[in-house]
Amino acid sequence: MKQVAYYKGCLASLSAKELDTSTRALAPKIGYELLELDSVTCCGAGDIHEAEPDYYLHLNARILAYAAATGSDRLMTVCNVCTLNLRQANHQLLNDAALRERVNDNLERVGAPRYETDVDCVHFLWLVAGESFPALRDVAHKGLRGLKIAPFYGCQILRPSKLMGFEDPDKPDSLERIITACGGEPIDYPAKIKCCGFPIIQAREDTALGELIQPIEQAKEAGADAIVTPCPLCHLSLDAWQSKLKKQTGKDFQMPILHLSQLIGVAAGLSDSELRFKRHVVSMEPVLQKLAL
Amino acid sequence: MKVELKIWRYDASTGERALRPYEVDVSEEATLLDTLDVVKDRLDGTLAYRKSCRMMICGSCGMRVDGGAVLACKTRIADIAADGHVPVVSAMGNLPIVKDLVVDMDPFWQKMQAIQPYLEPRLDRATEGENIVSREGMDAIHKESLCINCGCCVSECNSMESDPDFLGPAALAKGFRFVGDERDGATVERLERYSEEHGIWDCTRCYFCNERCPKGVDPRDAIAKLGAEAMKTGIDRDMGAKHAKWFVTSAKTTGWLRETELVPKTQGVVKAIKEIKFAMALLPKGKVPPPFPPHVAADVGESRALFDLVKTQGRDGAAGIIQGEKALGQLEHPGDAVDGPSHPYDDPRSFPKPYLPDDEEPAT
Repeated sequence: MKQVAYYKGCLASLSAKELDTSTRALAPKIGYELLELDSVTCCGAGDIHEAEPDYYLHLNARILAYAAATGSDRLMTVCNVCTLNLRQANHQLLNDAALRERVNDNLERVGAPRYETDVDCVHFLWLVAGESFPALRDVAHKGLRGLKIAPFYGCQILRPSKLMGFEDPDKPDSLERIITACGGEPIDYPAKIKCCGFPIIQAREDTALGELIQPIEQAKEAGADAIVTPCPLCHLSLDAWQSKLKKQTGKDFQMPILHLSQLIGVAAGLSDSELRFKRHVVSMEPVLQKLAL
Repeated sequence: MKVELKIWRYDASTGERALRPYEVDVSEEATLLDTLDVVKDRLDGTLAYRKSCRMMICGSCGMRVDGGAVLACKTRIADIAADGHVPVVSAMGNLPIVKDLVVDMDPFWQKMQAIQPYLEPRLDRATEGENIVSREGMDAIHKESLCINCGCCVSECNSMESDPDFLGPAALAKGFRFVGDERDGATVERLERYSEEHGIWDCTRCYFCNERCPKGVDPRDAIAKLGAEAMKTGIDRDMGAKHAKWFVTSAKTTGWLRETELVPKTQGVVKAIKEIKFAMALLPKGKVPPPFPPHVAADVGESRALFDLVKTQGRDGAAGIIQGEKALGQLEHPGDAVDGPSHPYDDPRSFPKPYLPDDEEPAT
């Protein structure tokens, strides 16, 4: 069992609790012991990076410091936005000794641990599609009965690729490989690497909905039974804002949206209380019927 | 080297569109632009594309390869046609196509014009002699100054695809080039204007612009710098700015984002009330977590104290982003030491010693 520090971020703590429970249940099955971080805060999303960038750097340094304090050299995230924020801050700190020293002095002054031992921040997707991939087929023993799944990557797990670097940002295949290994059929469509509109869904709803409709409409046309995403922000907009698309365009897609941990979780036989599909806005019923669950 | 490629041909005057295959013989070193030249010279003289300098300076030859914008002169054909792959070449996105690979750049220039791409020094007196700008002052806008107006960043901009009036990454990056210039005297007016509808807060943070820029401008980062400068200057009435402010408030009060209050804090109470029906549908699914009791992170006092502390250290606004750029620059130039020379010409090693053609190696 490999130990990794686990940063669940804001959404998995609150509105996307189903992401947290399914991740926790799945982790030991694929060989990870998740080390809880109690004292951490929000990574700031892109928002604190834009509003108070120096504070953003310190918040993320503090998260990295608490992750290092667990003794693990890896911090696992389950959100694209957290991944970019933490990796961006981490790169700055690891490659600029003077900046790190200043940030560490500030952390120390407020009573937080200094960020001394280097930690690598990795997304759950990268662990599953990377080092744990050989074990996946056995873990996903129940399969997906050829369910047609449209992978939706979202933005900040692919770009900027110089910070992310796990796979080709224009031709990613990690989700497709996972879907196939779990016994599903990956559906291809152009918008799978585009934006869901979430960062501006409250401030610029029309623009955001113009982005959101693309993956849902294209996945539907390609015959997908459901969309899977590694990001809870993408999940929230794809799932909860479908009703707004219906209001705006008259199109009622009823496209079920899965968190990555739920997709693998279903194939791995996790329980209802771990998967918590009842917390989704768009019903998962058609998918569960196809799986005869 | 034999190369196969497909090109989307288009004629706006007739509306005809077709994907045509071509096969040509080019050298191993050939760029995509060289390859197009061969296609035009030997196979089809009607193929239309723009070119000029052939060395990544003029910004003329922006086009898409397999859906992603590149400079044709910066792209080796051997890299994009490797292992039998047949690349598909097409015109850039988000701009109207005139013919084949040529787009109408007028909307691009109009947006560039809208941000007033020139210095407004507003000197209150004539200076004697030169007005010298500090090295640090120019370093702060170095990245944005590298822009060659090629349009590659605009091509895949997701916000612009949805809202064609969005100023977009190129114009906004240019905007920071002037906002960040210590000689400019119109900073406040600029930030006001860029903060309007279709400006800074319309960016959806898809990061396609950073991915596509062939010159390392990182337009998304420039937009974040504009946002940071606007907030620092107190230009924060836009919903996007209020949205960002609520994240800061959340981080220093409860530690975690206070999700449910984000809506009224961003949109205002009146608009938020109109969203009640939408919220009620999400409520039973747990997607509207109750704000009370708040979900408070352990040791959140540290987070609040950190905020108060860093606010006294003078890294507000864009400076907070610029301070990390030397480290981030190493992603592209791994050899550059952060604490090394701040400018290539400061480093004596940057000048090769002269040597005679008969010498096997440069004299050391």
